[in-house]
Amino acid sequence: MLRNILFYIKEAFLSAKKNMVVSLATIISLTAALIIVGIFLIISFNIDNFIADIESQLIAVAYLKDNLSEEVIKKLVQETSELPGVKEVHYISKEDALQKLKEDLKEHEEILAGIPGNPLPSSLEVTVTDTKYLAEIALQLGQYSEIEEVNYGGELTKNLILVFDFVRKTGLAIILVLLFIAILIMFSVIKISVHSRQQEIEIMALVGATSWFIRWPFIIEGFLKGLLSSLMAIFILGRAYLYYVEQAKMIIPFLPISLEQEFIIKIDIILVLLGIFIGVFGSMLSLRKISYEEL
Amino acid sequence: MIRMFHVFKTFPNKIHALWDINIHIKKGDFVFLVGPTGAGKTTFLKLIYRGILPTKGQVIVDGVNLSRLKPSLIPYLRREIGVVFQDFKLLYDRNVFENVAFSLRVVGAKNAIIKKEVNEILNIIGLSHKKNTNPHLLSGGEQQKLCIARAIVSHPLILLTDEPTGNLDPETSWEIMKLLFKINVWGTTVVVASHDKLMVDKAQKRVIRLEQGEVVSDTKKGIYSQ
Repeated sequence: MLRNILFYIKEAFLSAKKNMVVSLATIISLTAALIIVGIFLIISFNIDNFIADIESQLIAVAYLKDNLSEEVIKKLVQETSELPGVKEVHYISKEDALQKLKEDLKEHEEILAGIPGNPLPSSLEVTVTDTKYLAEIALQLGQYSEIEEVNYGGELTKNLILVFDFVRKTGLAIILVLLFIAILIMFSVIKISVHSRQQEIEIMALVGATSWFIRWPFIIEGFLKGLLSSLMAIFILGRAYLYYVEQAKMIIPFLPISLEQEFIIKIDIILVLLGIFIGVFGSMLSLRKISYEEL
Repeated sequence: MIRMFHVFKTFPNKIHALWDINIHIKKGDFVFLVGPTGAGKTTFLKLIYRGILPTKGQVIVDGVNLSRLKPSLIPYLRREIGVVFQDFKLLYDRNVFENVAFSLRVVGAKNAIIKKEVNEILNIIGLSHKKNTNPHLLSGGEQQKLCIARAIVSHPLILLTDEPTGNLDPETSWEIMKLLFKINVWGTTVVVASHDKLMVDKAQKRVIRLEQGEVVSDTKKGIYSQ
């Protein structure tokens, strides 16, 4: 078994070497396709993150007038908590608000340096049981005299989610088309490779090689090309992503772009599996039938 | 070893390559298959190694009816049959040793066994001093010998050769013939398709003569034209 595997691998390398130019062309085109797939995956995953983030942030914020007494605030919290559809009401004092802003702008504290005192109002953060109550609750909150202004990310957020969803679906469609093209590329390249080794295949069939014995070197060739392409794609993509995320974060510090290890590993695994799948599937497709006839 | 019962082979272009062939070649036989170009010699050989199936009739090789042989079992039939082609079919990107070893590699033989067997065969055919040479640097006779080496390295029951002396001078041809006789003496059934009159007459072996797809004569110790 091991002996055969070694033979297959040797034959695969021999074949790749023999068709060096075609091999390089395959790897480059497959790498390019995987990079594009990777870009869409990154966008898609980030959009998922972003939407989840926005949805969790869909709250109504009621900014309170300054100088309200503690009792008034307590009563207000009590009353608003009982409004239908309200899940929780959380009081944010002026100090809390400033603290939070400072945290958000960590590393960019110079922005706050020029502002005297604490210009932020205290507020009530009202989370809802369902985002569809948001508008109604905001309206009711606005009727309290203690409340200066109510803010909620209603229509705008909804539209944003719609747009993102559209982008994600388009991305998925593009990924599928790319996958199809990549498999076709692999298919034709292995066909070329099979064709250029027609005589070897013929001789193999003649001296009693089983059809799987003939296929394996080509499948391994496809596997290796797929693997190599995906590793190259990951390398290039990783470098580019880190670079652009850094650039983007410098311009927009609170951009919700994921740089977590887990996220990157997930994309890497998908790309490797995809590369291998395309390589192996393309090979299998071009070697469906080994002919023992008419030698 | 090889039996044909009422074998007909008609190609899609309606050419009758073989017409009602009835033949029995026993184990250990040495048979010349003679006749002009287009007589059906190559088709006859192809039927034996299941390169093609007969249109009608039965071909039985080593007790196996080839019409009923499952395609997945063809490789195992082929391991019992060595074939030497007119056009050599050598691998020109591998050296002499690897060309012979190829037959053993595809059946998953151990490296030590491959080394031993290949060296032994190369010794017999007189090519061991060229085992690292690329086949395209060999003479026609040497390439033919190499093909024979590849065909017999796995000790097949049957050796089929198609015009083994086709493009060779008489001296080299006779050398090849002697090699085939030697292989036959070891117990391999040998079928040689040839129109090399000189060799056939000199060999004094069984001669089956094909003309336009039909067996016109089958003689022990025959000569090329009866």
